Amino acid sequence: MQVKVSFYSFFKELAGCASLQETIAEGSTLDGLLDQVVERFPKLAGMRKSALIAVGLEYQPPGYVLKEGDEVSLFPPVQGG
Amino acid sequence: MLRQLLITADPIDEASLLATRKMSQDMGAVVCFLGVVRQIEGDALVEALEYESFRAMAEHQFNLLFDQVEKRWPVESVRLVHRLGRVRVNEPSLWVEVVAAHRGEAFQACQWLIDQMKQVVPIWKRPLKAGGR
Repeated sequence: MQVKVSFYSFFKELAGCASLQETIAEGSTLDGLLDQVVERFPKLAGMRKSALIAVGLEYQPPGYVLKEGDEVSLFPPVQGG
Repeated sequence: MLRQLLITADPIDEASLLATRKMSQDMGAVVCFLGVVRQIEGDALVEALEYESFRAMAEHQFNLLFDQVEKRWPVESVRLVHRLGRVRVNEPSLWVEVVAAHRGEAFQACQWLIDQMKQVVPIWKRPLKAGGR
């Protein structure tokens, strides 16, 4: 199945793109998706521990099980204000 | 609780915001906070900060925080404006107003809202050094 992955802030520069479609196995978790994304974009590896992850408009834990068509966002710690 | 949220590339117009304040007669406290861009960001001397957001999620997360404010404190209104784009040194990037019956809840709600914003609302800033780089 496919999910959309979007990058924000300097993650866009590290990935070299703003978003992509990623093919994942049924039952994949966010953590598994992150493994795939880091393998594809090794420059993101150093940010893995601090990365925030959302599905749609909500934060989700690493064990979240993805569904077809989910929109995943990856970004660094936020800095508003 | 009245809530107003604006995430905008336009400058924050404090005078206009103050002129449109509404409060009922039993409200006794207004706390306003203005976040302003500093010349020193970390160790760097900056000319401006460039703000970026994941707007739909930022709006959603702000509204979740407003829900929590409403549950935790007897607040009549919260208004919040956050700048996007280039904000120069000495210009405001954030304006927050909380209206309540008493100062205690107004101060607490305002501080909590800003602290939480800095944890969960997807807005980022990038320092721009002299010359706009």
